[in-house]
Amino acid sequence: MAFFNRVSPALVEILNKLQSGESLTDFDHNLYEYGSVRYNIQASASSPQIVNLSTWMPPLSPEFSSDCLPDCALQDVKRVYLDSAEVVEPSKQGYMLTLRIDFAELPQRKEDRMKAISEISSLHAVILSSQMKDMLWNLEPRYMGNGMCNPIKIVHQLKEPFFVIKMLEKTTVIYPMRFKDDTDVILATSFFQELVDVSNLEAHYKAPRCTWSPIPPLELRGEPFQYLTTNGGFVSLEIFSQHIRGTKADNTVWNLLTFVSYVKYHVKQCTRGFIQRKMRQRQESLTEVIRSARIRGDEDVKKHQIGGHKNVKKLMNFSRSKMFKKRYTIITNKIKKFHYRIKIKWLLHRFRRQWLRVQKIPLLRKYRKLD
Amino acid sequence: MATTLRLYLTCIRNTLEAAMCLQNFPCQEVERHNKPEVELKTSPELLLNPVLICRNEAEKCLIETSINSIRISLKVKQADELENILAKKFLRFLSMRAESFQVLRRKPVQGYDISFLITNYHCEDMHKHKLIDFIVQFMEDIDKEISELKLSVNTRGRLVATEFLKQFI
Repeated sequence: MAFFNRVSPALVEILNKLQSGESLTDFDHNLYEYGSVRYNIQASASSPQIVNLSTWMPPLSPEFSSDCLPDCALQDVKRVYLDSAEVVEPSKQGYMLTLRIDFAELPQRKEDRMKAISEISSLHAVILSSQMKDMLWNLEPRYMGNGMCNPIKIVHQLKEPFFVIKMLEKTTVIYPMRFKDDTDVILATSFFQELVDVSNLEAHYKAPRCTWSPIPPLELRGEPFQYLTTNGGFVSLEIFSQHIRGTKADNTVWNLLTFVSYVKYHVKQCTRGFIQRKMRQRQESLTEVIRSARIRGDEDVKKHQIGGHKNVKKLMNFSRSKMFKKRYTIITNKIKKFHYRIKIKWLLHRFRRQWLRVQKIPLLRKYRKLD
Repeated sequence: MATTLRLYLTCIRNTLEAAMCLQNFPCQEVERHNKPEVELKTSPELLLNPVLICRNEAEKCLIETSINSIRISLKVKQADELENILAKKFLRFLSMRAESFQVLRRKPVQGYDISFLITNYHCEDMHKHKLIDFIVQFMEDIDKEISELKLSVNTRGRLVATEFLKQFI
């Protein structure tokens, strides 16, 4: 579920702690998320209102450098965080971006402050979205000899690549789907068939067109074999200009980046969890049937059912008084033991002296000492 | 379709009513032991002829009887891959909780999806006609549950797909 959230919850917590002034010492914290995203948060005791937030994440495509942020992403970050943070150039060593946050410049109202901190914590989403947007808008389509476009490989979360094929009128995003479990493959296949059906409905004509194929589509035919071996088939989404226009762009890009995680979440958590709940309910109903088949259990139930409410009350009262009596006897026994402890010891001692004493048996044979 | 199911279940019920005449019979080979003879199959004189009731190629019921025990094995209808995995998961779920059903076998007989083992002790503890009712109701409920699960999975998939595509509009 964390994959779909644009905001990093760990960053929100740390920034809230820093802006409330809870830590009075120098603060230098390293944070890792999703296996590949690194953050470094630094604050000094002398100026607790200033925080330096550095980040590094692997680039979406090998065309982007891993040492520094691409220009498009840098411009987007500067635009988004114009009011709340300042980009520090050059960035901290080992990181691709460093932001300087001044809590004094954030809005004073609590809700606006929280909103600003949430926006800063979605830095990872902003950088990735800007890289993806750059690929969808600005990269020229690269045609191969036979008129087909060269696909661009993108590696996001879970280290599973997907491909973007840019053409003049549309952009096709192809996801090779892989699952560890055979059950997941079958559940996902039924989900993809529903997705294709829904995308072809008239009510969703504005949504991207989806197709699913068990074999690699034509656009991926030149790719290495390791990317084309799947057990869940290939899902293709066709994105047109209307889907990346204006405010929709960020949403579209984020949905495309998290599609694989979304499918796996739906299959694993929702569907399998739902199946487990239904099976448990059915098991309980079947267990009731076999329990009612018992001879003794059935007779007892019948006895108490006759007479209705009064007998049920009597039954409850009987069990309560029995419990009280039992507790009473336990307590009185303990008291008795406590009182009688010494006497019992004394009694036992007397008993031992009187009855367990070994009596001297006279010898039958007598020996006379010889002189 | 419902008619054939009714006939199939009636046939199974009548066969079980005839076959479920069990009595206590100690083991002939090991003294002071009492074992369900239908599982061991060491003494052919204690075993009755097994009865196989087939609704179609995919659904069948095997009833094996002996002097002190009866084993009922069921093969459940599985039309496609989704029904196949749902049936497999559900029946495995129930088999793992066999102690709550008492008459359910933890591992099905080879070639079948689920098996019951009813001994003379079960017949002494439970009403015979209710045991048979339980077996028949179990078969009906399994079919119903698998169909409902399949429908629910497809409906959930459709809803999730609709919600996903709405985000682009």
